[in-house]
Amino acid sequence: MSKVGKVLLTLILLAGFGAALFFAMQGQKTEVAEKARSEAIASATELTGIIALDVEPFFADERVRKVLAEQRLPVKVTRVGSREMAGKVVPGSLPDFFFPSGVVAANQIVDAARKANLPMAQSSPFHTPMVIASWTPIAKILAANGMAKALGERIYGVDMIKLTRTMLDRKRWKDLQGASAYDVSRAVLVSTTDVRRSNSAAMYLALTSYAAHGDVLTDRATARTLAAKLAELFKRQGYQENYVNGNFDDYVSIGIGKTPMAFIYENQLVSYALAKKGVGADMVLLYPQPTIVNKVVFLAGSERARALADLLARNAELQRIAVEYGFRIADTGVFMQTVKPTGLAVEERITQVIDPPSYEVMAEMIDVVTQEMAQ
Amino acid sequence: MNRFRRGLFCAMAAWALLGCNKAESPASGIQPPPGVSAGAPVETPAFKVLATSDLKDAQPLEGMVEKATGVKLRFTFGGTMESTEAVLTARTDAHAAWFANAKYLLSDPQGQSRVKLQDKIMLSPITVGVSESAAKKLGWSDPAQAAKVTWKTIAQASAQGRLTYALSNPATSNQGFMALMGVVASASSKADALTAADVDRRAIADFLKGYKLPGDNSTYLAEKFIEQQGNQVNTFINYESWLLTLNNGGKLRERLVLVYPHEGVATADYPFMLLDDTRRADYQKVVAYLKSPEAQTWLARQTLRRPINAEVAATVADVFPKEGMRVELPFSPDRQLADGLIDAYLNEFRLPIASTFVLDTSGSMEGSGRRKQLVQAMHYIAGADNSLTGRLAKLTNRERVWLLPFSDVPGPLTFFQVPAGDPAARGVQVQEDSEAKQKILADVRNYADGLRMTGSTALYDSVLKALEHMLAQKKKSPGYQYSVVAFTDGENNKGRGLAEFKEAYAQLPEDVRGIPVFMVLFGEAKESDLKELIATTGGRVFDARKTPLYAVFKDIRAYQ
Repeated sequence: MSKVGKVLLTLILLAGFGAALFFAMQGQKTEVAEKARSEAIASATELTGIIALDVEPFFADERVRKVLAEQRLPVKVTRVGSREMAGKVVPGSLPDFFFPSGVVAANQIVDAARKANLPMAQSSPFHTPMVIASWTPIAKILAANGMAKALGERIYGVDMIKLTRTMLDRKRWKDLQGASAYDVSRAVLVSTTDVRRSNSAAMYLALTSYAAHGDVLTDRATARTLAAKLAELFKRQGYQENYVNGNFDDYVSIGIGKTPMAFIYENQLVSYALAKKGVGADMVLLYPQPTIVNKVVFLAGSERARALADLLARNAELQRIAVEYGFRIADTGVFMQTVKPTGLAVEERITQVIDPPSYEVMAEMIDVVTQEMAQ
Repeated sequence: MNRFRRGLFCAMAAWALLGCNKAESPASGIQPPPGVSAGAPVETPAFKVLATSDLKDAQPLEGMVEKATGVKLRFTFGGTMESTEAVLTARTDAHAAWFANAKYLLSDPQGQSRVKLQDKIMLSPITVGVSESAAKKLGWSDPAQAAKVTWKTIAQASAQGRLTYALSNPATSNQGFMALMGVVASASSKADALTAADVDRRAIADFLKGYKLPGDNSTYLAEKFIEQQGNQVNTFINYESWLLTLNNGGKLRERLVLVYPHEGVATADYPFMLLDDTRRADYQKVVAYLKSPEAQTWLARQTLRRPINAEVAATVADVFPKEGMRVELPFSPDRQLADGLIDAYLNEFRLPIASTFVLDTSGSMEGSGRRKQLVQAMHYIAGADNSLTGRLAKLTNRERVWLLPFSDVPGPLTFFQVPAGDPAARGVQVQEDSEAKQKILADVRNYADGLRMTGSTALYDSVLKALEHMLAQKKKSPGYQYSVVAFTDGENNKGRGLAEFKEAYAQLPEDVRGIPVFMVLFGEAKESDLKELIATTGGRVFDARKTPLYAVFKDIRAYQ
């Protein structure tokens, strides 16, 4: 080997060794960093949360748990009925956050927290409109009686003013025009969960009060009178399930014979369709006109919970996963694309949206209905 | 690669660590008792579930759940009303409850507060199973006709004597109660939310004319139905699952045609309810398993209940009758209606009870507080307990009771008759005890107080005397539900033996077979002998060796 060759070889060896050393060092650095990171992730204290059933599967999702862990915001959640959450506002043992299924329950919690002098920051990372889960034959009967109209293929809009009037007039299904497909002597009623316990039933009360009054109720005296009248829409249903999925479970498992119309969150049927990759042939959604969009309200009671709120609203992956559980996010396109393969027809743009009455008015109405139901 | 492996190792280590943690501190946070070293394996505490007795056929789930989830599931069974009461009053140490129907419990604010979480597991509609020949005569073997049958039609067929049925007790069971509600709803013209004032009294009376085989437990009723099908009864009203099981079992004399009353189907939805919040994690594991395809398929194929899981439902559709549209009976949460209906059923509408209580007053009854237990039990049925179960145990209006104490020989018969009440003109309502009724109840209690224990045990002679007496009474006044309740604490050692009893029984007129003997096993009584006696006479043995005697008397009441 020439001298030049030897020098060259030495240089190459040196370079190789150096590179190896360099990369080894780099690798070690990365590993050290990785180790520190996983230690930090593992050592992050869990945030405690009291959540509604609707978001339980979201937090149980491995992908969500991973994102939260990486952001050092792991959570430990407990499922509680939304309307029982206000009772959990106890100074000294307050969770980091509440995640009730709607504004009414959220307002109750905020109210209880204010009284206990505990500040709560509100945000709404996802939302879902209130809808009526029903069946094609029922939708057709409603349409034949001027209470509904097709908004598209297998989507109907239902006129809440007319439907509410029909129910208050105590019409039976067989009293309606063209009712041969559902020729039964049961009263025309939408089934709800127990208004004393659940948020979705409170939304129904808000919506029917708008339909009966022609506007959002603002004064308490009118609200009381009207609630006393609307109480029959609950009372006449007979037994109502008192957990959030109660009437929805009956709708999907027992069917039209028990539940011709169920007042639900849209995300209930959407998540069902996504999980089962489809819905029953006759299942259709009726979009009340007007309707209420239910905001799933995140209430942060600590600094880290506020960071979590921010993450839920901004992290694209978390937002996408929320859609997989049937929720809508700011980007409607993602929602429509996700739902499309299931064959469930959903309305892209929800128009005619009203707000529920104020917290005080709602509380008043729920009280009146509760009293009426106890009689 | 290296990093991946390390990651994997970390994950495995973390997993193992988690596993260790779990083993060291059981979910309930129970500290190991002193003297037990931390390293010793800790026995997992059982996850106790109070279940309604119609779920007995689901008991193999104990093993399946434990295998799949590690949760040591253990059932205890009870009647619907009794179990509802136990949960309402928090008189159960069960961690969860599993009822065919919990609407009675969950329409009560206190009941709601006891139930922390609930999930429906499966479905089975209450169905009217009519023997093929009877269905043919009624025209119901034609599916188009059967689809039109309402509870009102069923009540009419009962009134005409064309439908005679077995049904579990409306005062203690969901099936019985919902059948009555079906009749009430169908007879009233209201489309929704029935109240106590809407009850059509005539329709109930009509329906109950066909009620020939009462009982309080589906296993017992199924056995009796197999024996009596075609003679005493031609119809069985029960959950679809039990009727399908009978149809598949090959023991029936003829198949049952399943009729789902038009606009009157009450579907049991089997909610599984968490009562003890500290066992939430176990509850969630059990529920996840029960709703899994494996458990749902097993429940559908083995117990013939419809899956709540819609995907599984599609795969086992072959097991169930083809779907028509079955319109549900709305459940009225009105407590006055429920209480009034049960009260009226017991005190006005049902065939009144006529029975002879054969009471062992032999010398051995003096020992170990046995006499006291017997007196307490008599006080209980002649008492003033107005709880859900107490009002069932108590002597009802129009009831006839003969008390027959025995020792060396059968003693004299003492007769008590509870007067009829003052029925409401319209609807139903809970009635206070009249003065005359209170007096009779006091007389029964006084009688019990005066019982003296001496001599030996002439059990078979006494049971025979009671049966002969009931037979004679039945001939005189057929409008009663006759039975014999016999109680003994020892072996027969006087008078006839078992073989001679059987001979004498065989000589009695055929009618005696409609009179069951409910035998109470107590003290040193010989279980095999009592079972043999029952095998001859029909009826059931109740074991009071571990259960308080008064509780056993209460159970018997549901069969009378």
